[in-house]
Amino acid sequence: MSIYRGNCLRVDLTAREIQRGDTPENGIGGRTWNSVTLLRELKPGIDPLGRENILCISVGPLTGSELIATCRFIASAKSPLTGYLGDSGARGFFAPEMRWAGHDQIIFTGASDRWVYLWIDNDQVEIRDASHLQGLDITETTVKLRQELRDPDLQVAAIGPAGEKLVRYSVISCNLARAAGRTGMGAVMGSKRLKAIVVRGDKPVKPADPERFRRACAQFKSNLEGHRDFEPRRRYGTTRIMDALARMGVLPSYHYRSAVFEDLDKVNAETLRHNHVVKAKSCFNCNVFCSRYNYTSYGEGEGPEYEAQAGFTVKCGNSDLELAIGVSNLVNRLGLDCISTAEVIAWLMECRHEGVISDADVDGIDLSWGSREALLRLPRLIAQRQGIGDLLAEGSKRAAEKFGAEARKLTVEVKGLELFSADPRGVKGYALMNAVNSRGGDHYRGEPMLELWDDEELTLRRVGYREAAHRLQETGKGALVNYTEHLGILSDSITVCKNISCCMDVVDFDLAAEAYSGLLGREIAPRELWEACSHVSQAERQFNLREGLRPEEDTLPSRFLDRPIPDGPSKGATIDLQRLIRDYYKEKGWER
Amino acid sequence: MIFCDVKICVGCRTCEVTCSSFHAGAVSPALARIRVAKLEELGLDMAVACASCLEKPCLECPTEALSVGERGEILLDGPLCNACKTCVDACPIGAVGFFDDLPLICDLCGGDISCVKACPSGALSYRADHRDLSLHAFMPSKGNPSERRAQCVRVQGEPIREGWKNGARVDS
Repeated sequence: MSIYRGNCLRVDLTAREIQRGDTPENGIGGRTWNSVTLLRELKPGIDPLGRENILCISVGPLTGSELIATCRFIASAKSPLTGYLGDSGARGFFAPEMRWAGHDQIIFTGASDRWVYLWIDNDQVEIRDASHLQGLDITETTVKLRQELRDPDLQVAAIGPAGEKLVRYSVISCNLARAAGRTGMGAVMGSKRLKAIVVRGDKPVKPADPERFRRACAQFKSNLEGHRDFEPRRRYGTTRIMDALARMGVLPSYHYRSAVFEDLDKVNAETLRHNHVVKAKSCFNCNVFCSRYNYTSYGEGEGPEYEAQAGFTVKCGNSDLELAIGVSNLVNRLGLDCISTAEVIAWLMECRHEGVISDADVDGIDLSWGSREALLRLPRLIAQRQGIGDLLAEGSKRAAEKFGAEARKLTVEVKGLELFSADPRGVKGYALMNAVNSRGGDHYRGEPMLELWDDEELTLRRVGYREAAHRLQETGKGALVNYTEHLGILSDSITVCKNISCCMDVVDFDLAAEAYSGLLGREIAPRELWEACSHVSQAERQFNLREGLRPEEDTLPSRFLDRPIPDGPSKGATIDLQRLIRDYYKEKGWER
Repeated sequence: MIFCDVKICVGCRTCEVTCSSFHAGAVSPALARIRVAKLEELGLDMAVACASCLEKPCLECPTEALSVGERGEILLDGPLCNACKTCVDACPIGAVGFFDDLPLICDLCGGDISCVKACPSGALSYRADHRDLSLHAFMPSKGNPSERRAQCVRVQGEPIREGWKNGARVDS
């Protein structure tokens, strides 16, 4: 049965034809529609950067409504980085505008023979020439489009030079710094010679049962404001994670060689705020407004979030926070994923440190820990695919094949996707999430944040195991990851920010069902939403199996499996990954 | 008037959501009588609504559908409006919207102002005594309403950016 079918726009970039239709039947918005579309329509084994790949951009029925922070669009395609299902969400203001324009899903097929952008003004949709935008970065592209179309309120989702050059971890970005960052969706867009999607929308989102919907919105808001992390997140956003991870002893210092960073106070949230943050920034309709605007001697921009902050400091052994912010701004402009970019650079530094590669291998660039030259030059070289950048643009897994077995041992990726800035050995739920989820090395499918709070009653209620409330416990982590995966799919369908829905546990399936029921004016049971998410979770696995995924690829980099955390508060922590995976497969009903 | 402090505004557009929801029971910026101009490349955000300005050029309305209420707000007599958009074109800061053949102007919600209550950052406030703000500096108007709102924020934001340049930070 269909909970909600939205409007779907099909854009054939080869034939330059635009058709209108419906979103798939089995779905509740966003990622659910995209994954079902790709499973149904994509031929197995195709080249992710060839014209046969399909790029889906979706919002959901609740996007752009009064429900707080329903601000994300989900971009999905076969990933050029992993070869499996790729998808990524971006916050900001593009998604609600797309919803107000009356389009719930846009499916791009084929490829244009010259650079184009898609113009959407409510029902008017056109493929337009973008040759004058070629080579421009994300900021330049956005500003130029708003200027020439004479509307500063237009929403633009664009690729930068990195997407044009098919860097396998390039992003689709809106609002200059809000990226669908993971799995290389920017490269897929670039392979279609689609430089940008520009949208203006006026159509109201109107709940069918206003009272019920308003009650759900109010409950959501009160859960959020009552959460213990509400005030800290308002003040520091995700950057507060750095001190928390340091206390837990799971920082990825010097590319995971240590869990301690001696200059923590030079690069943490408070220093960032005190020295470089000039104001708070928000995504659409959010009362946490956890983002920030920076002003530095390297220029200005929105960010950094924790991943760029930690990735370009702690992970690369760099104590110069201002430099890291400059790199974050640069990476945003070029259209690179900050997680993969930081990981590639940090890995390269470790390779140099270990003597696995020589200066000659990297065009003589100084690769010592924290090297300013490496941090400022490598992103540009990667985005332009110049010199060593051409190889690094392939991602660490492919690049390591060139550098040999010793370099391969040092990579930190799963299924080709580079990991976040934390040591999985000290956070067992996150370790499992990184090992098994459909995207590859990724913590954000659904954050298993419950394991960081030690709240046994809440964890028991959510996943059925008290033990799962503790990060170093292995019991119950299969159920925890399965639950948070479902919550992740739900969030990617409501299109609510996961930093709220998953990281602050403010929405469960009961409340989500109230919001859907109020908006649609029909009774939607929590169970139906859960089952829609289960269905999609299985469909995503099926997609990957069809692309040749072997269960043994559900793993972590060997460096996390054959030795404990060497120092700090979690010193000695190891993972029994096979146990965790058995537990998870049981939850999923999968065979080994 | 509704005043937005450009130094504090985070650009979340909750005011637009609340305004359109309060007045129309639905969410769309096109239904909102307050609009947030975001100059992302300059890091500036600011909500723009009717300033109850000294000049009140919108009152040039040829059918006399607009009048001034007791709080200084602009009131629309819908049946008199012929949708000529003279008021939309007249407003120097782009604070008059237009949807379904009717102009949309801040009416202060009849006194209990929804956007001010909803503003999460505290950037919005109601200033009852503030009735004689001149928009002379923005006249004659150039560009369309969204360009005018952007220009308004650009001008208001100049001292803020000057402060950043001189070392002002979020907590200072």
